[in-house]
Order: sequence, then structure tokens, then C-alpha cells
Amino acid sequence: MTMELLTSGEFIIFALLSIVALVSTYQMVAVRLITHAALFMTLTFTAVAGVFLLLQAEFVAGLQVLIYSGAITTMVIFAIMLSGLKDIKMEAGAKGRGWSKSNPLLMVVGLIFATFMCYLYAAANLPKATEATALAKVKDIGFSLFSTYVIPFEVASILLLIAMVGAIILTAKEAE
Amino acid sequence: MNLPIYLPLGLGALLFGMGLWGALTRTNAVRILMFIEIMLNGVNLNLITFSRYYYQTNPEMATRAPIMTLFIMTVAAAEASVGLALILNVVRNRGVVDVDKVNLLKG
Repeated sequence: MTMELLTSGEFIIFALLSIVALVSTYQMVAVRLITHAALFMTLTFTAVAGVFLLLQAEFVAGLQVLIYSGAITTMVIFAIMLSGLKDIKMEAGAKGRGWSKSNPLLMVVGLIFATFMCYLYAAANLPKATEATALAKVKDIGFSLFSTYVIPFEVASILLLIAMVGAIILTAKEAE
Repeated sequence: MNLPIYLPLGLGALLFGMGLWGALTRTNAVRILMFIEIMLNGVNLNLITFSRYYYQTNPEMATRAPIMTLFIMTVAAAEASVGLALILNVVRNRGVVDVDKVNLLKG
């Protein structure tokens, strides 16, 4: 890496966002309260949304903030708050149950995977980026979503409907 | 793009790896679901990175990755809602959220 790259604004912003994302993912594992883990998850998602903006995918960044940081976090926190069980809110024990000496050892599983992937990317000798002549505009995305990809789009909406019905059936108390 | 492609790809791989670590080590079911979301997010980051670096030469190609990401997010949302409903059901019926204690099928 050259000095020019290290001082470029692009790199500095990317470095800050990835540090935020990785540290808050680590905190999700280490923190004791589940609610705090959910809030750290939101922080990770927001940092990744920033990386998406850096990659000039503003549509995906918007989706990320709306669906992940908004909807999924709200759902997780609601699920935590609505259940009366104490266990779901806080894992027992000083540092939380399941946080034993073997955990840093198990971290190796994730790290080996990440190292292997990075090795693959480095060995693949990927070519330099092509000149971006056509950025994905939201208008184009909407147009192809309703023309080329209209059947997958409708199937996705049916999937969401079925998931909603399933969630309601699973959680609704049986009428006596 | 002056940023080398390895950096966003590496961030995606690290997010996936840390999500895998968390999903394997923690026993709280809600937390495991959250780590699965993190892993899916790492996958999305890889998709968008490849699209940004190599496939933005015409509008038809450029729209593919955002649409694929949209479908992944749809599946993630559906999975999260059904998963949380299942967890709430287990909590209501058995009073545990620890996946190690849900062992009815264990021989």
C-alpha cells in the first residue's frame, strides 16, 4: 500500500467504518445484555451502510438502513421486551453463560475462514476496477424490478406474506 | 476507485467470520439470530463490491447486484420474523431461551 492510498479520504473513511463495524460485532459477542447486543448490531449495520455509500450503491445503503437498522432491530428488541423471561434479557453469570475459556479458541473458526478468504482474494490476482460508466440509478433498478425481474419480485412478496402469516400463527395464543 | 478491492472483500469476510464465531459460541437463541443477520450482511457487502468494481459498464448489468441484495434482504427479514416467532413459542412453552437446554430430541 502506498502512502498516497493511506492518506486518501476514501481509505480513511473506509478504515473508520470498518473499525466501527468490526468492534461493534465483537461487542455483540462479548456484551452481557441482549438489548445492548441488538443496539451494537444496529451500529454494525449502519457502518456497513456507510461502506455501501462509499461503494456508490446508495439504493442498497438506503435499504440497509430501512430494513436492517430499522425493521430487524425493532423486531428483535420487541421480541426481547415482550417475553417475560429474565434469561432472554441477560445471560446469567459474571460474563454471561457460555462465555468460557473455550470461546477465544472457537474464534479461530471464524478467523480461519476470514484468513482463507483473504488469501483466496489475494491469490486470485483480481484485475483493477473497470471504469464505472453506468452507476445503478434507483430509476433503472425500479424499472428492471418491474420488467425483467417481475416474477422473482412477486415470489419475494409472497414469501414475505407467508412469513408474516407463519409468524402470526406461531405467536398467537390459541383461542379457547 | 482507488481503494483496492481486497479491503471491502476482506471486511465482508471478517464480518462473516465474526458472525460465524458468535453464532457458534453463544447459546442465547436471539443472539444467534442476530449473528446470522451479520453473516448475511457480509455476503451482501461482497456482492456490492464485485458489482461496483467490475460490473458498472452498462445500466442493465449495474442493476443486477442491488436487486440480488434486495432479495437477500427479503429472505433475511422473513427468516428473522419466523425465527423470532419460534423462539417466543419455545420461551412460552418451555421457559428457556438457551439452545443447549432445548434438547427434547436428544437421544
